[in-house]
Amino acid sequence: MQKIHPAFVFDENLNASFLEELFEGDTIYAETVFEDFLKDLPVYWERVEAAYDERNLPTLGTSLHTCKTLFGYVGFTDLQELCQQFENKCAVNSVEELRVDYILLIQRKERAQHIIEKEYTRLRLFNEEKQ
Amino acid sequence: MKLSCIIVEDIQIAADFLRKFCEKSDLVEVKGHFMNVADALEFLDKEKVDLLFLDVEMPGANGFELLDSLTYSPMIVLTTSKTEYAFNAFQYHVNDYLKKPFTYKRFLEAIEKLQQQAAEAGPAQQTAATPNASPLPDNDFLFIKAEDKLIKLKKDDILFLESMRDYVKFVTPAKSYITYSTLKNMEEKLIGQTFLKVHRSYIVNINKIDDIRGNTIYVLGNQIPIGKGHKEDLETRLNIL
Repeated sequence: MQKIHPAFVFDENLNASFLEELFEGDTIYAETVFEDFLKDLPVYWERVEAAYDERNLPTLGTSLHTCKTLFGYVGFTDLQELCQQFENKCAVNSVEELRVDYILLIQRKERAQHIIEKEYTRLRLFNEEKQ
Repeated sequence: MKLSCIIVEDIQIAADFLRKFCEKSDLVEVKGHFMNVADALEFLDKEKVDLLFLDVEMPGANGFELLDSLTYSPMIVLTTSKTEYAFNAFQYHVNDYLKKPFTYKRFLEAIEKLQQQAAEAGPAQQTAATPNASPLPDNDFLFIKAEDKLIKLKKDDILFLESMRDYVKFVTPAKSYITYSTLKNMEEKLIGQTFLKVHRSYIVNINKIDDIRGNTIYVLGNQIPIGKGHKEDLETRLNIL
């Protein structure tokens, strides 16, 4: 793996110290992972939305579990925790009871996606400059 | 010693990380990546590996169902983002548990621990490619190290053996003995006419079976689960009229 460029600092909304440990300075690989995240998340999130619309709480919990894991790989450890709480609630609450939490989750997911889009662009430009 | 492994993981990013860590370490050779349990079992039916990196929640069957279906005992590292599985992991005697996402440092700790375990368990445990250890001479007894001495056990007195991670429990009608070894080691030494592996964690003395109800064997008041992957073998070995 390549040494981290001292100029690159991850967005303050992300768990930067964890990401630095995870990627060990390999910004090329970080770019790949962020790109994969942006490709994969919409696919997995569609399953979350479909399960919610169908009021299928076990599938909703399972689908969110996958998204939770993805958030972890791009440094959203706080969002991972929120997903875990929602996943736990799926086992004991009704769709009506989950509505407010679900809306909050969508907002957080959209914000996260936006941050990763910007972060991916930054990483790409950073890597291009390095070469 | 390089361990052969497969990755059973439905999230591509997670699998890619794991593969990258394996390559970087040069301690683990990845023989394949499977997105579900069925494909992994199909592969394992043809080729045995030393180690499984196993996700728990996957579409279709989950990781624990794969463990129930295994017909041999590779080392297992569970990779999951849910800490609630820790208790199940303990019950299934998995070797380690990596919470996703994990760093290379944590990965390396797990692999070094596995290598140490394999080395301590002796040559029979070291790699899937290693030929089986020599079976015990055909005596009607064996010696095990327990309670700070070598204890002689008549094979016919043994009801069953239970895996307890790095130890094996020998259960006889009078007493149970715990010895430092692995079920895999015992399997290679004992399996034959009388003893049969019926679950990832159990070897049973067929002569001692009282009855079988569903997927449970009853031996002198003890209940022993039958793993999915062992059921057919058990049925073949029983004299069912």
